Amino acid sequence: MQFVNQNSTTIVEYTQNHFELVLTAVLISLLLWVPSGILLTKSDKWARRALAIANIIFCIPSLSLFAVFVTIPFLGLGRQSALLALVLYAMMPLMRNVYDGVKNVDRNVLEAAKGMGMSTGRIMREIRLPLGMPVIFAGFRITVVMTTGIAAIATYIGERNLGRFISEGLVRSNTNMIITGAILISVIAVGLDTFLGLVEKRVVPRGLRVRR
Amino acid sequence: MIELKGVTKLYQGQAVPAVQNLSLSINRGEICVFVGPSGCGKSTTLRMINRMIEPSSGTIEIDGKNIMSSDPDSLRMGIGYVIQQIGLLPHRTIAENIAIVPRLYKWPKEKIKSRVNELLEMMGLDPAETRNKYPSQLSGGQMQRVGVARAMAVDPSIMLMDEPFGAVDPVARNRLQDEFLRLQKEINKTIVFVTHDINEAIKMGDKIAILNQGQLIQFGTPEEILTDPANDFVENFIGYDRIVKKLNLYTVAEAMKTSFGLVDEAEFSGINAKIPNAEVIFVRDQGEQLVGYLTAEDLSAQGAQRLTQVARQKRLSFVKLNTPLPDALSLMLENDADYVAVLDGDRLCGAI
Ligand SMILES: Nc1ncnc2c1ncn2[C@@H]1O[C@H](COP(=O)(O)OP(=O)(O)OP(=O)(O)O)[C@@H](O)[C@H]1O
Ligand SMILES: [Mg+2]
Repeated sequence: MQFVNQNSTTIVEYTQNHFELVLTAVLISLLLWVPSGILLTKSDKWARRALAIANIIFCIPSLSLFAVFVTIPFLGLGRQSALLALVLYAMMPLMRNVYDGVKNVDRNVLEAAKGMGMSTGRIMREIRLPLGMPVIFAGFRITVVMTTGIAAIATYIGERNLGRFISEGLVRSNTNMIITGAILISVIAVGLDTFLGLVEKRVVPRGLRVRR
Repeated sequence: MIELKGVTKLYQGQAVPAVQNLSLSINRGEICVFVGPSGCGKSTTLRMINRMIEPSSGTIEIDGKNIMSSDPDSLRMGIGYVIQQIGLLPHRTIAENIAIVPRLYKWPKEKIKSRVNELLEMMGLDPAETRNKYPSQLSGGQMQRVGVARAMAVDPSIMLMDEPFGAVDPVARNRLQDEFLRLQKEINKTIVFVTHDINEAIKMGDKIAILNQGQLIQFGTPEEILTDPANDFVENFIGYDRIVKKLNLYTVAEAMKTSFGLVDEAEFSGINAKIPNAEVIFVRDQGEQLVGYLTAEDLSAQGAQRLTQVARQKRLSFVKLNTPLPDALSLMLENDADYVAVLDGDRLCGAI
């Protein structure tokens, strides 16, 4: 507690930075991976390729990925490298879930919809997206939580965020520092996930929730 | 009118076409049933009519217009389509499901609402209770009805139905069939109906097309097919009880005798009772209730005095004009009767 009181300005600053990084990364990921997940349903060949790439990126340890980007001249230490890495990590959970959710809608529903004369675009908007929403949203939640966690590691490439408490705490053997960082990161991750859980309830269509 | 001309469909990677050089025409207001064993190409043929599948060769015309010349979405909007798995949108209420095609046509809200209510009522569902439910809250039979209602929403002149009653139990299926036939009398649509159940085909069809391995084996009315099966395949497909099935095509009205006698019991007491000369004579009491009947043989064998007794001893049963003939016959067997009385409402109108 004493640690928290003494360093309140730093904590606020780090927390702010952390949020900023996470939000920017998630936002870019959404703009990028949701449309591409939808587009991939048009071509099995491209879907296979893109999902394979996403998978490979996902398997690279985050510290290595950050390190590699730092060596690339125009990225360098700091924000750009961190953002790029986070966005690339999000490709796997986000794009894959959007693709799966939109692709795996009950064939009979699609057959009936098409047979009634609904256009492909309309079927996407009115049927595929709403029916895929539970899967898409699950991917979104994983992305947010994961990004919060990995963002902490970006402290090693110069991000001044909550991860710094942990890395510096380790160097200085300052237990209070480590615990503060760890707890704050966890609280943010759990908090965001809970919040999104509430949002999900409003976004997932009612008909999918009612049971007899 | 729907006309298929030399239609063939060869799916990719298939050695034998799913549908082969199929030609037939379906008249306006008729129910044409495609029937045949699994995989014979019934669904494929049906789905070519609304361009869910495109034929490899041959043409399909609706009212003289090649369907390939119209936009597929607008073609489908104008054709009702019901599938076995129904395919209701699980995230939409029943009312919203039925409103899909009217919305595609941009009908005003009020018109859609009243049409939905009308359709629900027509299908025997309570609008107030059903409108706002979700598909998962309905029974199989109810969903099936909603599927049919949805296909009829904009009153299309053509309906394609792929095993529409396939997913419900036999009792519910029978009810749905009866209701649908009754409805069809009013709405008079051109219907293409797919089933693999020959009994359903005989019951529902004005015309039946029997398919096997992608080929049209026989096309005709149920009566023609039952009377004169084109080959062994058809004969086997119909089954050994062809004759019984044929009886199913008839109702009592078509088989009854309209010449019969009717006397009052009281007349027997007269010594020279005026007994009509008919094969069967029904006897009624003072209250004008039918109490029994006499056959011509009874008349010659018995004295007039005993006729009342004889007549009353026989168990008299009644059937209605629209009772299927086999039902009337089994009733006769059950009661060990030579004749049953046919009623049109309350009025005696014939004998079997
Ligand atoms: N999309 C497809 N691609 C390849 N082959 C197909 C496809 N759809 C159907 N077939 C094949 O075409 C043949 C006819 O299929 P179809 O669905 O028309 O049969 P059906 O008469 O409706 O059978 P069922 O009573 O089982 O529904 C079958 O051999 C089937 O395997
Ligand atoms: Mg089929």
